[in-house]
Amino acid sequence: MVKDEKESANRPDNTAFTQQRLPAWQPMLSAGIIIPGFVLIGLAFIGIGVVLFISSRSIQVLEMDYTGVEQKSACFKCSDPTVKDCICSLEFSIDSLFKGPVFMYYGLSNYFQNYRRYGVSKDYNQLYGDLTYFKTPSDTCAPYVYDKNKPIVPCGSIANSMFNDTFRLYQSVGTNGTKKQVPFDGKGIAWWTDYNIKYRNPSVVPLMDAFNGTTKPIFWSKTAYELDPTDPNNNGFINEDFLVWMRRAALPDFRKLYRRITAGDYAEGLPAGNYSLEISYNYPVLSFGGRKKVVFSNVSWMGGRNEFLGIAYLVIGALCVFMSIVMLIVYAKFKFPDDE
Amino acid sequence: MDKERADSGLTWEVKANSRHYHRLKQKKSVLCFHWGRYADNVVRSYKYSPLTFLPLSLFEQFQRAANLYFLLMLILQCVPVISSIPWYVTIIPLLVVLSVRGIKDLVSDLARRCSDSVINSRPCDVLISQSFITAQWKDVCVGDVVRILKDQVIPADLLLLCSSEPHSLCYVETADIDGETNLKYRQAPNATHSKLTSHPSEEALGAFDGVVLCEEPNNRLYTFRGQLQWRGECLLLDNEHILLRGTVLRNTKFAYGLAIYTGADTKILRNCGKLRVKTTQTEKVLNRVVIGIILSVLLAALLLAIGCGVFSSWVMSQTGTVSGLVIDGNPAYTGFLAYWSYIILLSPAMPIALYITFELIHTVHSLFIGWDLEMYWQQADKPAQSRNTSLNEDLGQVGYLLSDKTGTLTQNHLLFRQCCIAGEIYGDASVSAEDTESMDLSWNPFSCGGLFMSAPGLVERLRGQQCPLSRQFLTALAVCHTVMTEWKEGTLVYQAASPDEEALVGAARELGWVFLSRTRDFLVVSELGVRKQYQLLALVDFTSKRRRMSVLVREPEGGIKLYCKGADIVILERLQQDCLYQERTEQALQLFAEACLRTLCIAVRSVPEALWEQWSKTLIQSAAMATCDRDALLEKLYDQMERDLQLLGVTAIEDRLQEGVPETISLLQDAGIKVWVLTGDKKETAVNIGYSCKLLDPDTRLLEWHELREILQSPDPQVSFFKARQTELWAVEKAMARAKTSVVLTGPELIEFHQRPEWGAAFMSLAEHCQSVVCCRVTPAQKADIVKLVRKHTVSVTMSIGDGANDVNMIKTAHVGVGIAGVEGGQAVQNADFSLSQFRFLQRLLLVHGRWSYLRISSFLRYFLFKTCSFALVHIWFGFFNGFSAQSLYETWFIGLYTVLYTASPILCMAFFEQDASAENSLKYPELYKIGQRQELSSILKLSLSLLSAVYTSLVLFFIPFGVFYNTAFDYQTVAVTVSMAATFTATTEIVLLTKFWTKFNIAAVCVSFLFFFICTRITHNSRIFQRSPSDYYFIGVSDMAFIDPVVWLTALLTTWTAVLPSMTAHALNVILTARDKHKGRGPEGLSHLYP
Repeated sequence: MVKDEKESANRPDNTAFTQQRLPAWQPMLSAGIIIPGFVLIGLAFIGIGVVLFISSRSIQVLEMDYTGVEQKSACFKCSDPTVKDCICSLEFSIDSLFKGPVFMYYGLSNYFQNYRRYGVSKDYNQLYGDLTYFKTPSDTCAPYVYDKNKPIVPCGSIANSMFNDTFRLYQSVGTNGTKKQVPFDGKGIAWWTDYNIKYRNPSVVPLMDAFNGTTKPIFWSKTAYELDPTDPNNNGFINEDFLVWMRRAALPDFRKLYRRITAGDYAEGLPAGNYSLEISYNYPVLSFGGRKKVVFSNVSWMGGRNEFLGIAYLVIGALCVFMSIVMLIVYAKFKFPDDE
Repeated sequence: MDKERADSGLTWEVKANSRHYHRLKQKKSVLCFHWGRYADNVVRSYKYSPLTFLPLSLFEQFQRAANLYFLLMLILQCVPVISSIPWYVTIIPLLVVLSVRGIKDLVSDLARRCSDSVINSRPCDVLISQSFITAQWKDVCVGDVVRILKDQVIPADLLLLCSSEPHSLCYVETADIDGETNLKYRQAPNATHSKLTSHPSEEALGAFDGVVLCEEPNNRLYTFRGQLQWRGECLLLDNEHILLRGTVLRNTKFAYGLAIYTGADTKILRNCGKLRVKTTQTEKVLNRVVIGIILSVLLAALLLAIGCGVFSSWVMSQTGTVSGLVIDGNPAYTGFLAYWSYIILLSPAMPIALYITFELIHTVHSLFIGWDLEMYWQQADKPAQSRNTSLNEDLGQVGYLLSDKTGTLTQNHLLFRQCCIAGEIYGDASVSAEDTESMDLSWNPFSCGGLFMSAPGLVERLRGQQCPLSRQFLTALAVCHTVMTEWKEGTLVYQAASPDEEALVGAARELGWVFLSRTRDFLVVSELGVRKQYQLLALVDFTSKRRRMSVLVREPEGGIKLYCKGADIVILERLQQDCLYQERTEQALQLFAEACLRTLCIAVRSVPEALWEQWSKTLIQSAAMATCDRDALLEKLYDQMERDLQLLGVTAIEDRLQEGVPETISLLQDAGIKVWVLTGDKKETAVNIGYSCKLLDPDTRLLEWHELREILQSPDPQVSFFKARQTELWAVEKAMARAKTSVVLTGPELIEFHQRPEWGAAFMSLAEHCQSVVCCRVTPAQKADIVKLVRKHTVSVTMSIGDGANDVNMIKTAHVGVGIAGVEGGQAVQNADFSLSQFRFLQRLLLVHGRWSYLRISSFLRYFLFKTCSFALVHIWFGFFNGFSAQSLYETWFIGLYTVLYTASPILCMAFFEQDASAENSLKYPELYKIGQRQELSSILKLSLSLLSAVYTSLVLFFIPFGVFYNTAFDYQTVAVTVSMAATFTATTEIVLLTKFWTKFNIAAVCVSFLFFFICTRITHNSRIFQRSPSDYYFIGVSDMAFIDPVVWLTALLTTWTAVLPSMTAHALNVILTARDKHKGRGPEGLSHLYP
């Protein structure tokens, strides 16, 4: 017996794995499964498409360009880059209730926030509140690392180019032209992780001291620690407008959330009436052929209005159904060939 | 003098006993500089030394274009300005690839080192200052006198000086050189024999100061030209005086030799052929596609860079955020940098993991080969072995199988099964050898079994002394041969030049006619216990031209008899008029041939004394002539003697084929594989084997050299070939003529091919139409030449199979070499890519493992190229919307992990387990194998189609999310995650569509890769890991937001479905269209859907 074992010491194991006899499922597809399958999937896509399309249609959107290209537009006077501290006012009216909560976005087009060297131009460690990087910002911030031999904080191209137009919305109440300011809610417009983890102010009190020996970004009119004079907790790197700007866009045409209208009389939405939007126009876009706009929109389960998605679903779903019809014809042709 | 030498070609000078002189001129080399003349006797098959391992191994690895490419990528990534992906994404896989390969090379090199040192340290006795010292092989130097003892292997090519035997004869076994196991004799030159055979021999040998002048080292095993200058004499030397390295001294107590060629100069090492790195056909196609991909990437990068330059100069004309980012305010320079950035960004299109995964799959396939129980041979306890783990898919594409004969097709074990004496047939071949009733041979003290013939009648007749014809028949068997005897442990062992002779002499022994010994002049035979001595007057040996052999002996009774054995045609035409039993013998011949037995006719002639005297005189005269007609004259003389023969009978020998050989050959032929037989054997033997293993059918027309030459010489070989066939077969149909023709060639005829290289192509185009080609009498080098011929003139994959050292060369030359781990030395296996124990295992190796490997690997390649290209090319389209700035659309970690974790395991499982048809069906429908031969699954076209589909997918992957997210508040990172999701889903859906054989591993792999994607994405987006290194994990929190956003999911779903829609439709149409085939009953049921 022992001898036998010794003789066949090299005998391979007889297992399903080594003998390549693993039990396996070999799906045998047939036309009877495939064609109905295609129809079902097509119908499902059409269904999703319809739902998407309808909910997208139910979202109200009000979009206004305020670049001031045309002479008759209200902000034309501000579009000249030499004019400083220009304020223009955009008048508009709403016919029916603009259901709340209303989100207000600013939009830029032809603006390449996704340019690689633009995107790299920031210092994650500095923005994480690391004081050593306040003194010597990373080279990635080029070309905005130092200004007059002082380190720039926050350094880099993205921070430098921060959007600095501000908006105030007034509703005309009564006939005598009195205006009532619509309250904006700027809390929670940035991502939670950005606000709490990714960006941090150095733990120096007062915050101003941390910025000693540094300088503000070249394009900025205020320092980072004075971004929001009304709320001391909304300054430095955790200023929400700053955070929204730093989360760069994927495509050259984009929107960014500016404020939400949730409070007071406007919690239900913007009632019908005349409104004027007061814009302090600072951000130059005409120099590179860009456009600026403001967008008011309410949201549904799928976020903002998105017609492309619904239509694409409908098209692809219809294509699937069409394919299944083609397949059915092919199948019928071959299954019942024209006998001679 | 020197000029004279050079003219005669004898330029290799060896001075006996002058070590110092030769040592000075020893071949040495440092790096690539070589000097010196004589190689030392050290075998170095290893490649690395401790010092050179790292540089050499790296050098070799970076010769692989892929590795070099990634090294360049790595260097580029270290330049911050252009680094669009961080360097660590490339270095980790590159290091893994390099170290895995390096370790593999190191291990195999260590193994080679071990086997080298075993050979180099074999003992041998070298004469140093008048006494023999036991040295090692590696110490032998040109000019040394060496003593070889019985059964020792000869360490270098030696000139035999003298030996222990009379006339300084010695016997060598050349199994390791030509695979022949019989003994051959070598003889020392007369001068050295007479002068050096003294006692003590050391003194005489030590004083020997001859100078040998001979040819430069070469690979011709059977010729040697040289002269020995000693004591003012000049002796001519030829092959008879040479003992080759690798042969074994037998039956000789000791022999002294002078080392002429050592080490790398020896004939056997010269015959070894160069070690070639083999790459498979598929890998070659893959390499071409990869080069194509790289070129396209370079081109795309160039166009994108131009775009970048244009964009930069456009933004330069304005003031804006981006214009400040144009480097040095120079658009051209920015474009130049963008070029390199894009090369880096698009480099994942040619994934580094491809080659290492490729190797991994090969290794697993090789393991499967070794694990296969159906290829395990119980008797020898040997499983199949895949020694080269990178040729598996070539097994599925073999077009030509070139097989050795002896030991490969046959067991090299001949049995005497039947005979016909005086018209009476004895024995029955229809009963298999094992079932034959054994005869009672106890009366014969010399009987030792091994006769598988039951013929009590014959024994009775022989013992009863009734039939003089049968007694003469057996005398002929016992006398007419060249067998030598040897006593081993009290039993008589025959050493025969051919297994046929051994079988015949052995049969005669069993029947009582025992050949006892041979001296130069006498043969001693014990006839039924009576010892008789025959004086050997002349021996005319067998040649393939004469096809017969004769001995002329003086019987103890005094008469002179000529015993002759030979091929039936030759003998029958030399019979005396009205020979008895001729008709019945011819019927027997017919019968034996039908039973696939090898037949020889035996005949006798009584020679009158006067005739003999006259004949021998003429013979001596003619033999002394040195003119070129000598051979013709001798031939005529022999012919005069071999006539008026009296037919005694016919022998029938079974050359036992290995189990399952005919079935295997016919199955392989059904699978479209051309089977050729290359053998060192005689033509008759080879053709006979061809018949018995069904390689040739009984009605196959054999096309021999003279006809073939006419055809090849004609202006249009094809036409004359068919003409010849049609007239002979009256076969109108060309296909018939094709199938029923086989070419038979012999070694000397092949030499003509060398002189007329233009015949090669013509010959191959003919051979393609032939059933088979049989080449006989070929040397190892010629076997390799035939392989080269096939390789040169066809695109097919060639496979060589053999078992002996004589097959090593062809095994190395073919695309795939298979060694039979048989009786002969292990050299064939050592050099083979695969080793099997039995020829019949080849059907499983090729039709099952080979076909599966090909299927799996070609699917793997197509899918792999698809998945990597589709995901990398997205960056081209994204470039149009980000100012051609080489911005990545993915998180860097996703790029790194995509090929390694997210999409690797399902394709690996498919490449390990996929089966389109079960093993049984693969063997049942050999025609399925033809897919591989036609390269249907791995053609450039197929690969290009996958690339095309990859381009489509990349377009979908970019433009659908683009449409959804255009002018919305979604940020870049969310979009990146969405596209990543879609890319992963698409790749996984594609593999789900591709997999036809779902084992539990496949299912697990698909689930696991999905899980990996979600888990790893969560991990790299985790806040803890961000806090450790903020600049490497800046995607923090994205998945928290994205994975709960319905738009992200809906977009990923839509993108995935749109991306797979074309291949889904193609699959669906394929299923629907094959349903039609099933209805029409085409192809084997249930398998027709496999290949559209």
